[in-house]
Amino acid sequence: MSDGWTIVVGVKQVPDSDEVTIDPDTGRLDRANAPAVLNSPDRNALEAALALRDEVGGKVIAITMGPPNAAAVLEEAVAMGCDDAALITDRAFAGSDTWPTSYTLAEAVKYFDADVVVCGEETTDSSTGQVPPGIAAHNDWAQLTYVEDLEPRPEENRLVAVRDVEGGHERVAADLPVVVAFAFGENVPRPAGLHRKIYAENEFEPMEITAEDLGIDPDEVGLDASPTQVGGMDTVSPVDRKEQKFETAEELFEALAETEVFS
Amino acid sequence: MSDEAEQELTEEEQRVADAEDVWVFIEEHAGDVMNVSWELLAEGRKLADKIDQKLVAVVIGEDVDDVAEEAIQRGADLALVADDPVFEPYRADPYGTQFRHMVEEKNPSIVLIGGTHTGRDFAGRVAVPTWAGLTADVTVLDVEEDGLLLAKRPAFGGNVLATIVCEDHRPQMATVRAGVFEAAEPDPDRDGEIEHVEVVVGEDDTISEVLEREIGDTADITDADRIVAVGGGIEGDVGPAVELAEALDAELAASRKAVDEGWVEASRQVGQTGKTVRPELYVALGISGAIQHLEGMKDSGVVVAINDDPNAAIFEHADYGIVGDIFEIVPELVEAIESGAELTEVAQ
Ligand SMILES: Cc1cc2nc3c(=O)[nH]c(=O)nc-3n(C[C@H](O)[C@H](O)[C@H](O)COP(=O)(O)OP(=O)(O)OC[C@H]3O[C@@H](n4cnc5c(N)ncnc54)[C@H](O)[C@@H]3O)c2cc1C
Repeated sequence: MSDGWTIVVGVKQVPDSDEVTIDPDTGRLDRANAPAVLNSPDRNALEAALALRDEVGGKVIAITMGPPNAAAVLEEAVAMGCDDAALITDRAFAGSDTWPTSYTLAEAVKYFDADVVVCGEETTDSSTGQVPPGIAAHNDWAQLTYVEDLEPRPEENRLVAVRDVEGGHERVAADLPVVVAFAFGENVPRPAGLHRKIYAENEFEPMEITAEDLGIDPDEVGLDASPTQVGGMDTVSPVDRKEQKFETAEELFEALAETEVFS
Repeated sequence: MSDEAEQELTEEEQRVADAEDVWVFIEEHAGDVMNVSWELLAEGRKLADKIDQKLVAVVIGEDVDDVAEEAIQRGADLALVADDPVFEPYRADPYGTQFRHMVEEKNPSIVLIGGTHTGRDFAGRVAVPTWAGLTADVTVLDVEEDGLLLAKRPAFGGNVLATIVCEDHRPQMATVRAGVFEAAEPDPDRDGEIEHVEVVVGEDDTISEVLEREIGDTADITDADRIVAVGGGIEGDVGPAVELAEALDAELAASRKAVDEGWVEASRQVGQTGKTVRPELYVALGISGAIQHLEGMKDSGVVVAINDDPNAAIFEHADYGIVGDIFEIVPELVEAIESGAELTEVAQ
């Protein structure tokens, strides 16, 4: 283990959730006009991965699965300090739900011979949180989700994590290779250094990896290999709120006293 | 169906055709059952009745016969029990392997799992190897006569409900949010069957080890009629909010910001990754109104917001609001409530 760990970080480009608007007439989401950004929990994943590398040595490779323009988030990852980055891209992947997505990523992390895979807790656009356990399950590897802190033990070939569990915390040791889903907001992502930024923007080109490179049968990914489908979308009419503002606490209290809550 | 027609089905199609029963995973830790499991049992009962199938409780743990009994009392027809020390405390790999084995053996049509960290941690370890459809964080469940599960989940802050279906694979799995269904009370006279299943994992097969587990007394904010929630704006000083909660006889809750900062315990977090609450009164103190927060509280009765930023999104989702500093307004509000209470007492 003298040359450290190979750490692969899964990142994703998502529409900026603050900018996603609802069309007031149709009630439909307007995602198309929202700028694409790095999924915010992935920033915590990147920091966790870089911190691990700082401790045990090795390299950090950021990967993303998506169309060619999704590579923008890889630039950001490299600017933060990742050693390399790969875009996993193929028409065959189009329409994948979490099953083929995690399958593809599971093959990709094997391709890079990862010791540790770090992902964000979930994505802000689909928020299933299923991809990290999916990667672990496809490869039959250990997994650590809702992780708040990591403690590498290279001499034991294990990774120890503090996990958030309902009502408390636990410390779990997992054998390598392991997939980590790092909890949102649980560390402070390092800023990108100026030199790295310039390098990432001007010189760096991510690798491109296709289904064939990964030895993936196109029938095993994409829409047709996805067990779930979206059967429909209903708009939920938001509860109508009064949106009434008061100047003083007394006025607020009087208004409340009129409601059923106080009777 | 004739034999000939049956032969034309692929293995997966046959699995779909043969799948039956509604399973509910009963999540327990050291004998304590998470309430969401009882909620799902009540909802699972409705689904099973609608398609005229059995409701099965899946109980995994050590010395869990009591849990299995209670599952019967709360509506299950059958409890499948995997009882072994390897299952305590919870770990993803032995739970995943055991549950997967049971799914492969018995081919359930529907599997419901609480959307807790534990449920969301191991559901994928079952869905992936069995090539099942898995829908995350469901808030509405229904089933068609032919057994197709309609699993609805909020998308983008709950303004849209997406219906997810799984036509061609079984089981149809869903992790389901806590607090959206009502748990059924136990009926001690209810009859059901308890079946101990083969345990297929041993300690030697495991690839993880729990070194320590510390669980506090967790608050259950999902049942509260009144909630005072704090956010980033309280800057570490929960004092005034606690006083307001006392004056209102309310439970304290928090945004994720306040939880992440360590000001309030995690079990009191409201939102997409926290709890769903529906109190009669929800008071938001120094909470901006991010969509992930709104998702957990938007169905509250009366919503009150106090925030010093007039443009904070929370005001659009509130009935009453005050633009101002919580440290000035909250003490005044406490005083108004206390003197108001005195007035009513005098009037009586
Ligand atoms: C995957 C994911 C899951 C998430 N899940 C959740 C979740 O379950 N629940 C949740 O809440 N969030 C969740 N979030 C986080 C969410 O996006 C917001 O970051 C969070 O809700 C912000 O909390 P806040 O509004 O309390 O804090 P801030 O954003 O810090 O806002 C503080 C507010 O207080 C006001 N303020 C400051 N000082 C004062 C004062 N003295 N008096 C009055 N007002 C004051 C400010 O104007 C501001 O509006 C999630 C995010 C992600 C990415």
